[in-house]
Amino acid sequence: MRDRFRALTGRDEEPPVRADGGVPGDETSSAIDDAFETIGRAISRVIDPINDRTGPDFVESSPFWLPPFLLMVLFVYGAIAWNFAISLTDFAGFGNPDYSSLDLDQYARALGDSGFIQATQNTFVLVLGFTVATLLVGLLLAILIDRGIRFENTFRTIYLLPMSLSFVVTAQFWLWMYNFNNGILNTIITALGLKPVNWIGDPGVVLFAVVLALVWQFSGYAMVVYLAGLRAIPTEHYEAAKIDGASSFKMYVRVIIPQLKGSTISAAVVLMVFSLKAFDFLYSLVGGYRPPNGVDILATLMVRVSYSNNQWAYGSAIAIMLFLMALSIIGPYLVYEFRRGNL
Amino acid sequence: MRKDNTRLSRRKFVYTGTTVAALGLAGCSGDGGGDGTATDTAEPTDMPAVEIMHGWTGGDGKTAADNLRDTFQNNYDVELDWNPIGGGGNQNLDAVVANRLQNNNPPGAFANWPGPNLVKYEGVLGNVSDIWDEEGFEDAHVEEAHDLHKQDGEYRAVPLGSHRLNNLFYNQAVVDEAGVTPEDITDVSSLVDALETVANETDKIPMTHGMQGTWTTTQLWASTMLGQEGFDAYMSFLDGNPDRAAVRRTFESLETILSNYISDDSATIGLTGSNNNIINGNAAFIHQGNWAAGAFRNSEGFAYNDDWGAKAYPGTEDMYMLHFDSFLYPSDNPAPEATKTWMAYVGSKDAQIAFNKFKGSIPTRTDIDLAGNDFGPYLQDAADDFANAEERPPNLQHGLGVVAKTMTSLNDVISSNFSGPFNVEDATDGFVDAVSN
Repeated sequence: MRDRFRALTGRDEEPPVRADGGVPGDETSSAIDDAFETIGRAISRVIDPINDRTGPDFVESSPFWLPPFLLMVLFVYGAIAWNFAISLTDFAGFGNPDYSSLDLDQYARALGDSGFIQATQNTFVLVLGFTVATLLVGLLLAILIDRGIRFENTFRTIYLLPMSLSFVVTAQFWLWMYNFNNGILNTIITALGLKPVNWIGDPGVVLFAVVLALVWQFSGYAMVVYLAGLRAIPTEHYEAAKIDGASSFKMYVRVIIPQLKGSTISAAVVLMVFSLKAFDFLYSLVGGYRPPNGVDILATLMVRVSYSNNQWAYGSAIAIMLFLMALSIIGPYLVYEFRRGNL
Repeated sequence: MRKDNTRLSRRKFVYTGTTVAALGLAGCSGDGGGDGTATDTAEPTDMPAVEIMHGWTGGDGKTAADNLRDTFQNNYDVELDWNPIGGGGNQNLDAVVANRLQNNNPPGAFANWPGPNLVKYEGVLGNVSDIWDEEGFEDAHVEEAHDLHKQDGEYRAVPLGSHRLNNLFYNQAVVDEAGVTPEDITDVSSLVDALETVANETDKIPMTHGMQGTWTTTQLWASTMLGQEGFDAYMSFLDGNPDRAAVRRTFESLETILSNYISDDSATIGLTGSNNNIINGNAAFIHQGNWAAGAFRNSEGFAYNDDWGAKAYPGTEDMYMLHFDSFLYPSDNPAPEATKTWMAYVGSKDAQIAFNKFKGSIPTRTDIDLAGNDFGPYLQDAADDFANAEERPPNLQHGLGVVAKTMTSLNDVISSNFSGPFNVEDATDGFVDAVSN
């Protein structure tokens, strides 16, 4: 099989390969080589202008990136575009969407729907609260572990472990821990002489409870990212700060943490995307599409509208708005990375 | 020289890779075509397997469904492609079915609720009126089932079994300890009194109520409305002409019960946790559909009438709030003939006995001798209540009372206004708005 391909590529497919370089033949038959070279030059005349515009080897490298690119265009961006098209219709129930009258009705409907407004607020609070809290906890853990403590690896593993667990598992854990009567949190709180908290049942508390559970799960990830960032800072910076008479606190705030900007940004983006996917956690928490009152987010609302009511157009409109939210997080990051020359 | 060689071979490798990829893609499409022709030629010669989708993946539901399948396969020469989809109540099943119907790739038949629930499948359900005719289902099955299985004047589904919704189960030891006689509780206010007595006389939970989801509260509301405001008020609520005062009074009673007599951890427990409170003797009463009885029956050393008891929800003694488990028949069916064999079987005596006696529901056929078929004392009592009921109103939460969209709205209201803190005024407005025509 491989030999056959080799034969194939050797004879039929060689010319375009040679096209860019036009390297004089160091192979067996120089007559064939000359012929190839002529063809190669002809092809170069077509390809070179394209390459001049788009960068070297644009056309030659296309076998690498073009097929996946086309698949991505079709299955990811095509699906998003189709989803957007559906959101402009009034599609509900079964059958085919009617694309003849497109309007923004579903978006207007969302803006007038108190459930949607509530879910959007909850999503924002969840994304911001979760990301900030996780970064702070992760940074703290990273600094502590970076102090050269004993059992450093063990601690690192312990903190990272929750991230390896599925949302399905952690949601059940936390459901038990949040139980009003015999959950460990209320056991501790009552032992301290405080009143027990209705973690899941109180709409004012449940969002905080969910954020807390997610922070627990992902702070280990933030820790690892920060740890890598800290290890990249030369020891001299610490020493210089010490010699200048800075306290440990000042040293971290003025010297070390500013250098962790890159780590912060990349960890923040990943965490925000995780928090938009909190659907899994909420689904597992209640075993259904309807999270406890006070913690309904756009992802759960979208699925509920689509699959409980078969209101596909409305569900698509919510999906598009959720997508724009995610894009507004990722977009600036991509621009930032691009400006720094990392893309 | 050497450099050049490696470059060449790398390029060859790339081209080889690309060619393989291209061939692979071609191969994929070739396979696809092959599949199509294979089924095309297979269909006329041989009955294809009927794909059956349902949500009974655990406990007595799985036992019942497996028995339903085995009984069919022992008696019919049709192959089944058995496809149970569990999780989230029936939500995962519904989502998969919706996607399949959306993609014009329906299963042979799928389990779901009939009644207004059929509305969300408008346009994708086929006609099984011929089966109802041939099998004489109209005479064999309870009258209430007829209209509920029709859409646009034709039958679209066949019932398999029925659960009762308006039940009050109790732990005998706990009610004895409190000195409460469940049989004497015949209206909602005496239920509240009984709960108060349990609260005062024992340290148990007077009424266990899992509020992890909202559906438990919605179905409790329906039973309370039926018991307190009566059949007519309940039916006009379902019909879209709610009496606001009656809705409000129902919420007031419910507020009394939910803010005083349920457990503090209700928000973190669901059906299973709530059932366990009864089984473990931590709670006196529970309101549930009689699928809960399945959990009680299957517990070791927990016997009907000795350790646990059942009565109608207070005020609904002469009524049986209906629930149906049915199989729906999609149009554009991949295996119409074979599926119709299955649908005829679902409504038959064999199937209804095979399924219901394990599921803890009762047959929708009126000609089955439950005692002679090992249905057990509880189900025999349930069937007697069914037969003797003066009214058999449809349920609210399980598809028979309102369309899916309304049901979602009602549950939105429960979620935002009535899952603690309890806001009677807003919940009343929400319910009235949700059902009003």
